[in-house]
Amino acid sequence: MLTADLAIDDRLDETFAALANPTRRAILARLAQGEATVNELAAPFAMTLPAISKHIKVLERAGLIERSRHAQFRPCRLEPGPLAEVAGWAEQYRPIWEERFDRLGEYLQHIQPPPEGTDS
Amino acid sequence: MTDTQSVTLDRVLDAPIDLVWQMWTEAEHFAAWYGPTGATVPVVEMDVTVGGTRHFCIEMQTPDGQSRMWFVGEYRVIEQPTRLVYTESMSDPDGNRVSPEAMGMPGGHPELTEVTVELTDVDGRTRMVMTHAGIPADSPGAMGWNMALDKLEAHLAG
Repeated sequence: MLTADLAIDDRLDETFAALANPTRRAILARLAQGEATVNELAAPFAMTLPAISKHIKVLERAGLIERSRHAQFRPCRLEPGPLAEVAGWAEQYRPIWEERFDRLGEYLQHIQPPPEGTDS
Repeated sequence: MTDTQSVTLDRVLDAPIDLVWQMWTEAEHFAAWYGPTGATVPVVEMDVTVGGTRHFCIEMQTPDGQSRMWFVGEYRVIEQPTRLVYTESMSDPDGNRVSPEAMGMPGGHPELTEVTVELTDVDGRTRMVMTHAGIPADSPGAMGWNMALDKLEAHLAG
């Protein structure tokens, strides 16, 4: 079970933080259709270009999008990795089960009599 | 095209198979190891029959005080001591299923999951293979990358 004290790793936190904003989700949805420049991404929004750039930087830091380094207009494109992790609930359970089975192993040791021939 | 996710762990435990079986099927033992570190399992109800109900609670201290999470499920296969299959969902204290989203889980978490435990005797020790799998919701491909994108599109449309 994903419980409060079993924090999802920091990267996922960052991904969720980046997704917790309607403008950024809209930008990702646009990029799901293909790469776009900052100007193109800004077009549907009643926002200044610097404001949009700020959102794009957050998405970039979270690894959700990638910007081309060389092209003149530095188009943005979707980076599916982190989102796939968000969707990948099953892998999030692996460390939980690992920890659980560690405890199971210790508990089994604790409740079983020591092997014969062992002085205690 | 269903996109069922699962996670599998494979371990050898230094205990006889019958004892490992009890770890999964007897409430007192189950409560002793199952909860995350620092948590307790104060309530466990197990009707270990095919179709029988399992219902339990994990309690932990959080900065906001004590927090309880409830789970409910049903036994599907009981082949003592080699194979156990049960389902699991989040629930309220009365055992009514609640959606993972309502409990604050990230999207894409299936409402119903299934745990399969397979035990094999290995010279007095026990090999345990556990698979935790999602059971796809009604809509095929309800999980994974497609769903993440669908959600984004829904947000855009909404």
